[in-house]
Amino acid sequence: MFEDRKWLPVFLISPANVLLLLFIAVPSIYIIWLSLHKLTFGMSSTFVGLDNYIQIFSDPIFWRAALNTFIVVNIVVYAELALALILALALNTNFWGKGLVFSILIAPYAVSEVSAVVMWRYLFEPDIGMFNMVLQSFADIQLNWVRNPTHGLTLISILSIWIHLPFTLIILYSAISTVPGDLKNAARVEGATEWQVFLKVTMRFIAPAILVAMMFRYIFATRLFSEVWLLNEGGPARLTEVLGTYLFRAAFRYHDFGTAAATGLAMQFLALLVASFYLYKLYKRMQADG
Amino acid sequence: MDDRKIILTGRSLILLIGVVWSAFPIFMVVSSSFKPALDIFAVPPKLIFTPTFENYIALFHDWPEFVGSLGNSLIITVGATLITAVTSLLAGYSYSRYRSRLLTLSAFFMIFVRMLPPIVVTIPLFPVVNALHLNDTYIILILLYAAFFVSLATWIVKTFIDQIPRELEEAAEVEGASIWQMLYKVIVPLSIHGMIAACVFVVIFSWNEYAFAMIFTSNTARTGPLILSEISGAVEGVQWGVLFAATSIQLLPILIFVLFVQKFIVSGLTAGAVKG
Repeated sequence: MFEDRKWLPVFLISPANVLLLLFIAVPSIYIIWLSLHKLTFGMSSTFVGLDNYIQIFSDPIFWRAALNTFIVVNIVVYAELALALILALALNTNFWGKGLVFSILIAPYAVSEVSAVVMWRYLFEPDIGMFNMVLQSFADIQLNWVRNPTHGLTLISILSIWIHLPFTLIILYSAISTVPGDLKNAARVEGATEWQVFLKVTMRFIAPAILVAMMFRYIFATRLFSEVWLLNEGGPARLTEVLGTYLFRAAFRYHDFGTAAATGLAMQFLALLVASFYLYKLYKRMQADG
Repeated sequence: MDDRKIILTGRSLILLIGVVWSAFPIFMVVSSSFKPALDIFAVPPKLIFTPTFENYIALFHDWPEFVGSLGNSLIITVGATLITAVTSLLAGYSYSRYRSRLLTLSAFFMIFVRMLPPIVVTIPLFPVVNALHLNDTYIILILLYAAFFVSLATWIVKTFIDQIPRELEEAAEVEGASIWQMLYKVIVPLSIHGMIAACVFVVIFSWNEYAFAMIFTSNTARTGPLILSEISGAVEGVQWGVLFAATSIQLLPILIFVLFVQKFIVSGLTAGAVKG
């Protein structure tokens, strides 16, 4: 159909591809050049070789930011997967009000990072927040995210999990709801316990979905920026910085675009490293299809 | 108790905890937006109180720019959604119906760039945007938001178009329809669920986005989330009631939207994530 027009398919994909090229691909490649130069506002750039990389790699705050990112991302991804799996299993049956329960479970999907920070700050405001009052009276501790960096990272993890759990839940729930009931029943007839049915049938069936959810969450979680910046700007004393805030501060507070670009390249490298296996598989499949 | 009862109890308990976990922060902020200042941090929290609109009145008095910022958010959301809808329809159709080495490469390119972290592109774009005087305009945010969702949207639309039989297009061609008429009259109506699913994500993202808006706007194009962050970071101490009123107003339209389109979110994420 419409095959006489040879350039039609290319023409149709071009608006989408131009958008991606202009706003993502070209800037993402251009930072390689930027990372090799020293430049700030109104100054001409000078080539400095690997100086920017040497500068960030010898900056303890960069390593602290990298470590914080690593810790938060791992906590967030695995907590989400575990919670989403439990909730998806619990949801996978018919009961009255299921639609409403599902709606409420995915409600945080609608909440902006700004609002999520407002909500969790309200609950954990030192000395007056409800959850801190409860912690204080029962355990004599508070989540002092203003002063204590560990507590700060804990609150950042909690609110990240809260915002992103719906994404993971939706992917795992759609996968679980496609597990054929016959397969599970057959296993039960053979004398398998519910636990064995879960491990041997359900888990095997949904393993690919778990891997995909995990990869996407690793990639998206590594981008962590707004939650941290809005909660405490990486404070106190830059101890809760993550790679995203480190990059932002270098670029838009210190106007040091060279080190910001070097940090950006490190973030891209991490994302592509996580995605490499998936991308490789996808490329093979697309070539086979194409 | 037999196994069934244990499972039923466990299930109910898990779902109850899940519901409280998801709803409680939202409920607290929205209900507290109607509380007088003294009750907001009352211990134990006041569940029964005389609702007041004083926080909302104070919000419109102290932050007159808030209403305008929601208008900006709306314009930017509509703009980004329209661009995403059109570009992803064209591209999704092409990837679904045609095969060539170039198309395969470009389809792979689309998914590949989706992995790259958005904040990184702000470094090279910032000076360019300033030089072109696009700073603090709607158009820069519209294009950026569309760019970061066109890949997911295209993939979702493609998955839906894959299921439309080709015979309908062939019939349209025989009758002498142009490609545009065919897309508009045949493909759009039949893939409308896919297009909605594709657009839902860019709508939610554009309405809520913070980082790009903070970097690329300064005054006239500021969006709702940006004013929210200014209210919460006010120097003279946070006015919690006002902040909650603003948060509730920003949240409610998109929350209702998400609840209405929830089945599209599910089908979109399944098509975009698992298959793509």
